[in-house]
Amino acid sequence: MALRTVDRTTPVSAQPPPPPRPSFETWSWFFMRVSGLVLLFLALVHFAITHITNDVATTNYHFVAKRWHNFGWRIFDWSLLALALAHGLNGLRLIIDDYVRRPARRAATKAFLYTGTLVLFAYGTLTIFNFPG
Amino acid sequence: MRRAPTSTPYRGKSGQWAFLFHRITGFGVFLFLMLHVVDVSLTNNRRLYNDVHALYGNVVFRVFEVGLLFGLLYHALNGLRIILIDFFPEGVHADRTMFSIVVFLTVAAGLPGGYVILRPFLEGHF
Repeated sequence: MALRTVDRTTPVSAQPPPPPRPSFETWSWFFMRVSGLVLLFLALVHFAITHITNDVATTNYHFVAKRWHNFGWRIFDWSLLALALAHGLNGLRLIIDDYVRRPARRAATKAFLYTGTLVLFAYGTLTIFNFPG
Repeated sequence: MRRAPTSTPYRGKSGQWAFLFHRITGFGVFLFLMLHVVDVSLTNNRRLYNDVHALYGNVVFRVFEVGLLFGLLYHALNGLRIILIDFFPEGVHADRTMFSIVVFLTVAAGLPGGYVILRPFLEGHF
């Protein structure tokens, strides 16, 4: 039986494994941590303003107009919209991977989720920046 | 003991509940976000926005908002617990303690917040 010669100039144990390239899922993991930290601030401040320091019954059209007169609050609300949708989209993507097992159904569910989120993002962005004043 | 074929022998402890609540609250907040994008979009019609928005002051919606507050608080605090364990893996030994803290802080912040939201109803005007 012929033995194949293997060229090993360095012993196996001396070769360090190449560092794994960050995959899409690594970035997804990282994004959830970073966006989660930012959202903790954005979402809780937003909730406090609209439900605690102001009663929800007083947050009418006039309240929105006064608040969005300041462009900084539009940026605040838009950041909350964009990050919350992206964070939720990615979370739901993982939930779908866990529970929707049949490939066709999984693809269809994700297509529905991605389309719906994109539409909401566009609609919400228009709402914030088309508001007069 | 015989089990139904779909049942799982896995009996998770606090971590399993933390995971399950994280999913449920995350899903719930996302559903509310979808509704919220649509209701705020009504600002292109002043009267319609005010009419629809008046619903949020209704007691049924206020109870729902208290639920949203608890969901948000839990999801935010448990997210912090996850981040802590991810970046300080030794912290996994304190997992149960941290979960207890998450639950305690959720209730401790949620109850007074819930009281403020429900106060107009409790005081008789809604």
